[in-house]
Amino acid sequence: MKILVCLKQVPHQDARLDVNADGSWIKEDGIKFEINSYDTFALEEALRIKDADPTSEVVVASIGPERVTQALRTALGMGADRAVHVKDPAVDGSDALGIARILAAVAKEVGPDVVLMGLMSEDSNASAVPPMLAELMGVPHATAVVKAEKGASGFRVERELEGGALEVVDLPNPCLLAGQTGLNQVRYASLKGIMAAKKKPLDVKTAEALGLAGKVGASAAKAKIRKIYPPPKGEGAEILTGNADEVVAKLVGKIKELGLL
Amino acid sequence: MASILLVAELQKGAIREATYELVSFAKKLGGDVTSVVIGSGIASQAEALAKRGGGKVYACDDAALANYNVDGWAKAVRAAAAASGAETVLFSNTPVGWDVAARVAAGLDAAFVSDAFDVKPGPVFVRRIFNGKLDAEIAPAAGKVVVTVQPGALAAFEGTDTGSTEPLAVDLSGLRAKFVETKLASSKGVDLTKAEIIVSGGRGVGAPEKFPEVIQPLAAALGGAMGASRPVVDAGWLPHEYQVGSSGQVVTPSSISRAASRARSSTSWA
Repeated sequence: MKILVCLKQVPHQDARLDVNADGSWIKEDGIKFEINSYDTFALEEALRIKDADPTSEVVVASIGPERVTQALRTALGMGADRAVHVKDPAVDGSDALGIARILAAVAKEVGPDVVLMGLMSEDSNASAVPPMLAELMGVPHATAVVKAEKGASGFRVERELEGGALEVVDLPNPCLLAGQTGLNQVRYASLKGIMAAKKKPLDVKTAEALGLAGKVGASAAKAKIRKIYPPPKGEGAEILTGNADEVVAKLVGKIKELGLL
Repeated sequence: MASILLVAELQKGAIREATYELVSFAKKLGGDVTSVVIGSGIASQAEALAKRGGGKVYACDDAALANYNVDGWAKAVRAAAAASGAETVLFSNTPVGWDVAARVAAGLDAAFVSDAFDVKPGPVFVRRIFNGKLDAEIAPAAGKVVVTVQPGALAAFEGTDTGSTEPLAVDLSGLRAKFVETKLASSKGVDLTKAEIIVSGGRGVGAPEKFPEVIQPLAAALGGAMGASRPVVDAGWLPHEYQVGSSGQVVTPSSISRAASRARSSTSWA
């Protein structure tokens, strides 16, 4: 089985988030990046399929500048077979549909039986690319997947709904599954894996090579970020001071005073 | 004035309150409202929506849609968008909305905005990014736009209206996704969506045992339910149904207390 895993490299969860000069995004200089946590669960799921069936091939793909090489090398170190890096300033400023177009072009070259990726990214939190990519590929999809069982010609997945409910759905291959966090326990790259990763293929592609010149990037984006900013502060915050007993007494008094409970 | 299509959802057999919040959102956005109700045996629900702000309501009533099906919903919404000539399509950001809305946007070659909690003139949609640490204003290009709206962001529309309903026939052959069943998560379902009071703990409480030792008794003493942040759930300290906030349950408590949690308290709270 051929599996395509789409990864996004995002600012580290503990990175300092300062807005850049024109207010369009955060300052990326000097902060650490990591693989989007949701995507690590998708990668782990792919590697488990390969563990059970070593004839499987796991291809990881990502989009972005030079720093993304590190994310792809990490994925190769964990056990992916090869990587595709779309590295091209022409794709900067793409909206989710632009990103989905790029990944669809990569998927066309790879020809996967299943595409695995995270439900959302830790930076844009949009959950937009997976359903868009499925639509562009013409395959069925499921999001918020908490369990994926491989069958003879498809997957039986459990999707998370509200109130602790799950929806069980059968999808035929090829299909796209967007995983929730906690889908599995993600492995670490072993030293041996990291050494082996240096010899694994990592193809670098441009938008033009994928036939997407002029179809992606800022000029083609239909949804543009006008500005970002720290959320307005709520009014009336009050800091209670004193030792633990005093703070508790004050807090209980406040709760009663405001009639919260 | 541009036309807006609302994609309704059902919950326990009735139009979901979040759908009436879409009516309020559409009124704030400004435009002629049409709606689509998708399901099986949904005539009365379509009527109810028409009388409470849904405008002209397309009823896509088909046995194949008795349960949610991503292919079926994508087809139905696109058919309704074509029939109504809508430039803007609004979904609620729910397990149905986040599953199908972006797919519809790609099919319509439309701008897409996810989980908007407000709209300003322009239109400019406001949403949260970086798990609520920053806000972003998104301006769609001219033309079609698909938006998912955060449940609870606006009050539900309570007015009455004289809408109408119209059947919408959709070719539902060739659906690939097959619904099997809906079930409860294996551990006891903790439905935080209905909790009036939630005491939510973060990773900062220090250890898994602090949840039964500290958070649970505190929640019980307040007559509320225990919740947890995503890092706690990801670490396996508590099952996923306890998770609130980012990608967890959208909850609407009247009161919430967060202990040792780094998350911004309003993240994903409805």
